[in-house]
Amino acid sequence: MDCHGVEEEKIEVGRDELKILLMGNPNVGKSVFFSKLTGREVMSSNYSGTTVSYTHGKMQYSDKQATLIDVPGTYSLKATSPAEEVAVDFLQDGEVDVVVCVLDATNLERNLNFALQVKEFGLPVVFALNLIDVAQNQGVSIDVDRLEEELERPVIPTVAIRNVGMKELLEEVWKASADQTQFNEQVSVTEDERWQAVGRIVEEVQEVEHRHPTFLEKLGDLAVKPVTGIPIACLVLLIALVIVVGGGKGLRAVFFLPFVDNIVVPFFRSIVSIFITEGLLFNVLVGEYGALVKGIEWPFALVLPYVFLFYIVLSFLEDSGYLPRVAVLLDSTLRKLGIQGGNIVPLIMGYGCAIPAILGTRANTSPKERLVTSSLVVLAVPCSAQAGAFVALLGDHSILALVLVYLISLAGLLLAGVILNKVIPGKSDPMLLEIPHLLLPDREALFKKIWLRTKSFMIEAEMPILLGVGFAALLVEAGLLESINSYLAPLTTGWLGLPTEATMGLMLGIIRRELAVLPLLELDLSTLQIVVGSVVALFYIPCISALGVLIKEFGVKIAITIGFVTTFIAIFAGGLINQVVSFIGILL
Amino acid sequence: MFLYDLKKEQACRIEQLPTIPLLNSLGLREGMNVSIKSHQPLGGPIVIQIGRRSVAVAKDIAEEISVEKIEKNIS
Ligand SMILES: Nc1nc2c(ncn2[C@@H]2O[C@H](COP(=O)(O)OP(=O)(O)OP(=O)(O)O)[C@@H](O)[C@H]2O)c(=O)[nH]1
Ligand SMILES: [Mg+2]
Repeated sequence: MDCHGVEEEKIEVGRDELKILLMGNPNVGKSVFFSKLTGREVMSSNYSGTTVSYTHGKMQYSDKQATLIDVPGTYSLKATSPAEEVAVDFLQDGEVDVVVCVLDATNLERNLNFALQVKEFGLPVVFALNLIDVAQNQGVSIDVDRLEEELERPVIPTVAIRNVGMKELLEEVWKASADQTQFNEQVSVTEDERWQAVGRIVEEVQEVEHRHPTFLEKLGDLAVKPVTGIPIACLVLLIALVIVVGGGKGLRAVFFLPFVDNIVVPFFRSIVSIFITEGLLFNVLVGEYGALVKGIEWPFALVLPYVFLFYIVLSFLEDSGYLPRVAVLLDSTLRKLGIQGGNIVPLIMGYGCAIPAILGTRANTSPKERLVTSSLVVLAVPCSAQAGAFVALLGDHSILALVLVYLISLAGLLLAGVILNKVIPGKSDPMLLEIPHLLLPDREALFKKIWLRTKSFMIEAEMPILLGVGFAALLVEAGLLESINSYLAPLTTGWLGLPTEATMGLMLGIIRRELAVLPLLELDLSTLQIVVGSVVALFYIPCISALGVLIKEFGVKIAITIGFVTTFIAIFAGGLINQVVSFIGILL
Repeated sequence: MFLYDLKKEQACRIEQLPTIPLLNSLGLREGMNVSIKSHQPLGGPIVIQIGRRSVAVAKDIAEEISVEKIEKNIS
């Protein structure tokens, strides 16, 4: 698994195993079912397009085994995006034993239309009527027995996040798989006929009691009106910054830094000292810049607090259903960059990690938007690990410099977007986006998600950082760094105005984005040098894993182009700042 | 009269709409009643309420959906 991406693996189904497919409209809770039933955690968020490729997992009920498949949500069985295609293909390849079709009880009409389409396929289907809790809060009640009669298939009311109805659902799935009744339904119904049938069923089974809008409903509406929505968005951003930057500084000073520096690193040093006491290997491992010193202090003491806090904020925002509202507010701005408002979701995810952000663009229908959004993420959006490094470098020096670097990143994003919009052929789709209900995130689901992401950061960041730092220490010890430094001096010293030792960041930055920043911590730099170094790191080549994903999604040619262009922009922008400021300095 | 021209809080019935499959799937069909929740400035989208759902619709699309004004609260 790359960062937090979902890898497509070949599905192997044992001979007596059932193959069960989860289907439904977007954002109805399919992935929650998958996680609960298989024990394999997958991402779920309160907006459509969370799942962009398929995942499968084993599940068991009494003594029988089955493979469960989670796919992206689809509004109809006519796929319109690469993500939707994945789902429809599964239904059509015909090897599925039972379809579990998840329905949203708060939006019966549209979901029933989908239910009828799935039923027409003639496969055994079990319906899960999910989000019953939300429906109840809204005063919607549904007569499940009547609905079952109408659909002629089992219907189980469920609250997936609280495990309500799961057992009954499994029972029905097994019954349906054993039932040999042939459903030769394949009748073709026109669209109009289907909607008429839906209207009739809804009339019969659903009762809506008029209620006053709840606080969350009112807040949800205020968030999409420009007059109130923009102040709300600014407030949310401010709170997020206080939590991540302020909280991160606090956490780092109070806990992470002392813990790592006083306990973890001395621990490793004493272990290593048992075997070796001095020499090259000792220095590479536990010398001042050794792999087990900086390779642990950097990711765990400096970066982890920010990554952790960022994921708390991001996960909360995702599960609340707030993000699509930001998409509405920003649509007209983003369209100047050739992308519609919905792309704000992958852009924001990019502030966590570029990889899920690039994969997330699969929910887009237009290839142009996928490419523009992905390029912007890898060019100008600092990931949370890099943000942690920036705060460590800039925050302690001058908060203003930190703000400046983020303003430069924003300006770079806008400028690059406007240019990409002109350069990349194709069209962007006009916005047509469902706004989910604003919900209070489920605590358990939230904790799991934060833990999942933090854990994957620790696992995926640690190895490359250890190796990178170890490699760097080896270069220093072997005396090779000197010659590399002097070789690159025209660039580092001449153009960028940095000390020759800054080559370290340029080399390590290829591995991970925060490694382009962290080595600067060890140098004694002026404010200008810090800003220049940060700007170079910001726009610099995407990390190795992100490049890998770019290759997979867009091909080698595009990925390499992105790698070269970003590196060029980084060096150019950094040098420009240095030259201009120095020039002004001379004039003054 | 087109959907995009309606004022905030105004309710209407959809008369005709362009053939975009996603529109249908999102529940926008001829004869449906919808109301306007918000208008974004600078050519941004509008947010409409349909049933208990909100959907954001781009200006380009909303300008092609012809509607007839109705009194509020007839659903
Ligand atoms: N209150 C409540 N929330 C639920 C329930 N089931 C799911 N959710 C929430 O609904 C949101 C959507 O869930 P997902 O599992 O991501 O939906 P999905 O169908 O996989 O969505 P896509 O992958 O985008 O098609 C998440 O925020 C869940 O926590 C439920 O029964 N009650
Ligand atoms: Mg999903």
